Amino acid sequence: MVELKNVSVIYESTGVEALSDVSLKVEDGEFAFVIGRSGAGKSTLIKLLLKELDANSGEVYVNGYDLTKLKKRKVPEFRRTIGVVFQDYRLIDTMTVYENIAFVLRVIDAPRKQIRKRVPYVMSLVGLQDKADCYPSELSGGEQQRCALARALVNDPALLIADEPTGNVDPELAYELVELLQGINACGTTILMVTHAHEMVRHFGGRIINISEGEVVFDEVIGGAEIEAQ
Amino acid sequence: MKLSSFRYLVGQGFDNVWKNRVMAFASFCVLLVSLLLVGISVLFYVNINAIIGGIEDQNEVIVYLLDGTEKARISEIGDQLRMMDNVANVTYYPREEAFIDLKAKMSDQAEVFESLGDDNPLPDAYRIRVTDISKMDETLKATEAIADVEYVRSPDSFVELLTETRRVVTIVASAIIIALLIVSMVIISNTTRASVYSRRREISIMQSVGATKGFIRFPFFIEGMINGFMAGVFATLLTWFAYDSLVGLLSRFDVLSTIGLGNVIPFNKIYVIVTIAYVVTGALIGAIGSVASTSVHLKYRAANM
Repeated sequence: MVELKNVSVIYESTGVEALSDVSLKVEDGEFAFVIGRSGAGKSTLIKLLLKELDANSGEVYVNGYDLTKLKKRKVPEFRRTIGVVFQDYRLIDTMTVYENIAFVLRVIDAPRKQIRKRVPYVMSLVGLQDKADCYPSELSGGEQQRCALARALVNDPALLIADEPTGNVDPELAYELVELLQGINACGTTILMVTHAHEMVRHFGGRIINISEGEVVFDEVIGGAEIEAQ
Repeated sequence: MKLSSFRYLVGQGFDNVWKNRVMAFASFCVLLVSLLLVGISVLFYVNINAIIGGIEDQNEVIVYLLDGTEKARISEIGDQLRMMDNVANVTYYPREEAFIDLKAKMSDQAEVFESLGDDNPLPDAYRIRVTDISKMDETLKATEAIADVEYVRSPDSFVELLTETRRVVTIVASAIIIALLIVSMVIISNTTRASVYSRRREISIMQSVGATKGFIRFPFFIEGMINGFMAGVFATLLTWFAYDSLVGLLSRFDVLSTIGLGNVIPFNKIYVIVTIAYVVTGALIGAIGSVASTSVHLKYRAANM
């Protein structure tokens, strides 16, 4: 569960108010698109949810953690409850696909048996079972994005945040990726997907949170093209 | 931390040396040069000290006794001398032996001894060697205070020269070694910082998936230790080669014996301590440098998030 109560974030270096008195709540098991123009405050929202940034005022709750009161030493423990897919994938270049995904489990001291079982499973889930020994540089953009998704899923997180996951892949792959995320959401994982692709959002429908100039200007559930067609 | 995680992190440390070989090689070279600079300076100082010590050992004081001192008293004086703090060695030097030595030394002036006949003008004496030449003055005073000692002969100016030389060498060598240590630490710190900075993306990814600082730092610790260890091994081999070559070259031209520096320590007598010093220092500096740079980076990132 994600909840923001009257949250404001001001960047001290520039004085820009990136988020202004934002309140929103995403329940467990929900799938929400976060849309908005560049500079609207979407990245700030993600940084806030990952505890890479602190709010100047308001309260932030993620997966049962009160981020406004979370101590520094507890941050790694909190981050393990979230899976994140970044637009630039953020894979470790010197690790193979298998190692990149397994790394998350090694961080939590998972038993080797669990690693050997879980990593091939998530690789097959995203269709990368034949690329286990490849390095990120040997993968296409779509494959790298799927690897990043597998890494985000391997720990079975309660919340998955996808920051522009379709930004660097072609439209066909982008639609496939969202369908994959919907499948994961159907298994109970809460998903928050930040995107620019308004057309794609209209196609899928669902809960849309529109941020503009640091404020939530639209937060409703709309029917997608698929829903309307039915 | 589980044993399997420990093994994984150690393995990551070894893997990372190869995967980041350019920066690892840069760190290795900087550590190697730093170790050689400091190590060679220390060896130079140790040898200068050994040479001065050798010269000091040859330094002898002669304690002349009053004419007619009885045998029993001579023996007592010998015991008194042996019980003194700064005395390393005491040898009785009877007047007969001294007379024979003097005759041998002044063989070109035989007429002087012919006029003396069998009269031996020399007194009985003791030859003593001191432990610490810098305390020579106090030892001489204590010796002169012994009853039935007529006078004490010591090469004062030479003693002063040696003491002064040792003092200057110690000050200069210490200053050079400290300066080199500081320069080395600055260079090593900058190199390890550059190495960590080149992997800031990797570190940020680790943090975003919930890795603790300890988990991130440990492979860097192992990497630094491996680099430092290798630098220590190479520094030992290079020093060994250079040291033996230099001593061999000096010996070939009789330089050492000509200037009386026969006390240079052979490398085979110090190779164990030199190896341990190089390897342990290298591994420690490498490991601590890496961990410190990683910690500074993590702290900086935390402050700028």
